[in-house]
Amino acid sequence: MKSSLTPLGPPVSRDRIIDTLPKWYTPDACLQLREHFHGQVSAAYQRRNTGTVGLKLSKVVVVGDLYVGKTSLIHRFCKNVFDRDYKATIGVDFEIERFEIAGIPYSLQIWDTAGQEKFKCIASAYYRGAQVIITAFDLTDVQTLEHTRQWLEDALRENEMGSCFIFLVGTKKDLLSGAACEQAEAEAVHLANEMQAEYWSVSAKTGENVKAFFSRVAALAFEQSVLQDLEKRNSTQPQVGDGDLIRMEGNSSETQESKRPFSLGCC
Amino acid sequence: MEEPRVREEEEDEDEEEDGEDEAGPEGALGKSALQLTAEDVYDISYVVGRELMALGSDPRVTQLQFKIVRVLELLEALVSEGGLEAEALRLERDSLRQEVRALRGEAPPAGGQVDLGPDKMVVDLTDPNRPRFTLQELKEVLQERNALKAQLLLAQEELRCYQSGLIPPREGPGGRQEKEAAVPRPRSADHRKGERTIMKKLPRCPGRLGQGCKAASRRPGVEGTCVGQGHLPPRPPTLGSTMRRMSCTQGQPCSQLGAVKGKTKDKKIWY
Repeated sequence: MKSSLTPLGPPVSRDRIIDTLPKWYTPDACLQLREHFHGQVSAAYQRRNTGTVGLKLSKVVVVGDLYVGKTSLIHRFCKNVFDRDYKATIGVDFEIERFEIAGIPYSLQIWDTAGQEKFKCIASAYYRGAQVIITAFDLTDVQTLEHTRQWLEDALRENEMGSCFIFLVGTKKDLLSGAACEQAEAEAVHLANEMQAEYWSVSAKTGENVKAFFSRVAALAFEQSVLQDLEKRNSTQPQVGDGDLIRMEGNSSETQESKRPFSLGCC
Repeated sequence: MEEPRVREEEEDEDEEEDGEDEAGPEGALGKSALQLTAEDVYDISYVVGRELMALGSDPRVTQLQFKIVRVLELLEALVSEGGLEAEALRLERDSLRQEVRALRGEAPPAGGQVDLGPDKMVVDLTDPNRPRFTLQELKEVLQERNALKAQLLLAQEELRCYQSGLIPPREGPGGRQEKEAAVPRPRSADHRKGERTIMKKLPRCPGRLGQGCKAASRRPGVEGTCVGQGHLPPRPPTLGSTMRRMSCTQGQPCSQLGAVKGKTKDKKIWY
């Protein structure tokens, strides 16, 4: 059974496999204090009960001032590279990162938006439908932290109230240390609480916390998707999900091979 | 235009001097004060000295001679200084003339000042980096780029599938042909073989994705590598029909949300 549920197509690399809920950066500003996935998530997995289209991918939008390092952060995570040269993002860019969370294939569609004011009208068209909003700022530039309020407001305007996970991310952590870092983080944590966001400090240059951060993002988004999906199915059409899956599995005209693309095609 | 004229003036002056030389030392006395040179003063000195000599050795003449020499010295100093100043002024005048001419040439042909509104911008048409393209054009290029990138990601996944052996590099003739038969195509077997290369598959990829999961399950050999419609963030404009089916508005990126909302309205998986 497991073979039909594990991610198909190219196998997910080892460091994209998440079995337990990754921990927060600081308990002072975090979205979820639990250390394990919600009971229903693992239960659903046990029952092979999660195979819907909607589950498999979340849209993540990264916003923030120019030159805070949004692109660097994404490139460090998705490509494990760091480019010293600054190249402003034109409009928007995106990456797709595949995970296997609690045994279920899951992907993040990460939208990298331009920080330059002149591209705002283009980038903002891509805010809609975000499950996760990441507002990034430069830990060494307090102004960029102040601007995150506006960035978040703009991103939330395109989304339904309360439908998004919000993360506040301080970048260029490698440039700060000791008291200065603590001071910057304290201010950011304060703002994160105001925003109802989870706070993280990262460095794309050294890679510090980058993987942990995105794993956390993916896991929380995944968990929310599973729970919402279960809720819908239980409240509206309790048998639809199972029925679908049974029909698929029981479709004897198709061989085992056919389930692989199904999972892929829908993930 | 100007320089030749200056030269002409100088030549005129030279000619005058030449003429004066020809007239002998007495000619210097006939000159205007502004044209007098140090040379002329020496000529005057010669003429005056000669006439004083003719007056004899009267002590009153000798007295007068000292005074005359002194006056001539003063005159010589004034003439020399004046000549230098005149030369400096002439040079300055010439350079100023050239400057004026250059400025007049640069000035806009008519009207002079251009009155722009508060939200207007002047564009230098000779600047190779001047703004050229419209917002709409940039949006379209971006959408196209994103669509191509999505296809590239799909192709890379597909390639990895082959590389990792998840999809056999060559489908067995029986299995493949059965699948092919499900979707009739007016192609011969020879053509079909060529189509299996990734390059040739690519353009069809979004269309196949648009068919959704059921199609994917029906045609595992081909669809297996597609990440799924939800993974194709932006739809290229050529997918007009697919986009409409997915309720994507034009100019908006077609996100997973949009696609799912459009397809499974009744289920409302996403909020």
